[in-house]
Amino acid sequence: MPTRGTGDYAAGMAREQRVYAVVSHPEVRVHVRDLGLACCAVEFASAIGRGLLVPAEPSTSGAAVLVVSGTVTDALAPEVIAAWEALPEPKAAVSFGACSNSGGPYWDSYSVTKGVDRVIPVSTYVPGCPPRPEALVDALVALVVPA
Amino acid sequence: MSEIPHQARGAIALDAAACTSCMLCVKECPDWCIHIESHNEEVSEPGARRPRSVAVLDSFTIDWGLCMYCGICVEVCPFDALHWVPEHDYPAPDAQGLRHGIARLEEFGPS
Repeated sequence: MPTRGTGDYAAGMAREQRVYAVVSHPEVRVHVRDLGLACCAVEFASAIGRGLLVPAEPSTSGAAVLVVSGTVTDALAPEVIAAWEALPEPKAAVSFGACSNSGGPYWDSYSVTKGVDRVIPVSTYVPGCPPRPEALVDALVALVVPA
Repeated sequence: MSEIPHQARGAIALDAAACTSCMLCVKECPDWCIHIESHNEEVSEPGARRPRSVAVLDSFTIDWGLCMYCGICVEVCPFDALHWVPEHDYPAPDAQGLRHGIARLEEFGPS
């Protein structure tokens, strides 16, 4: 079991959740908290920078989505758990990118968690190394509007 | 919505008919995310000294949960059985769903 990580940092990040609307699907409005741990987080930022996601007014309804983007290490796993637990219900977690899906290139590393689903329940796995920003939108839409 | 470049590295598609099960992609993959199963069949030709042994592809699986989209498998394939496609919309509700077999990999279509 992980021994380090107090959870304060990630829990603080999770409290800062923001509301975004998906431009291509205006009915999809998600309270998103990006838990950026490595380079995949740049693609999350790119989804906002390129206007695929736009800031929206908070609403009382709608699920909170924790997007874990990047490599989860055993040392950081308690932070991820704290961020997940700090989110209000109803909530869902999106694993964004190979590292958080399975450990990715670090699948045999001593220090990397072999998929964030080992520590929190994941609703959608987004493949990619990194995934395109469009893939984040695909996953958020698939989460809210089941096919 | 912005345009996706046609050369975008979204997914790696398979042309199963071109694959000879030579296993080069499996061996070169830094992640070991490709899994191939095949068996050998003997083909007899009239007048030949002995039957030829031909590998037949049974299963070809890419685990997108592991793949780091480096493209070494595409580069190394001597028969152009693997190619890039810009497709990016294939999230899965479970980790097992990120393992795509022959049928799904061929669905990605031609380059």
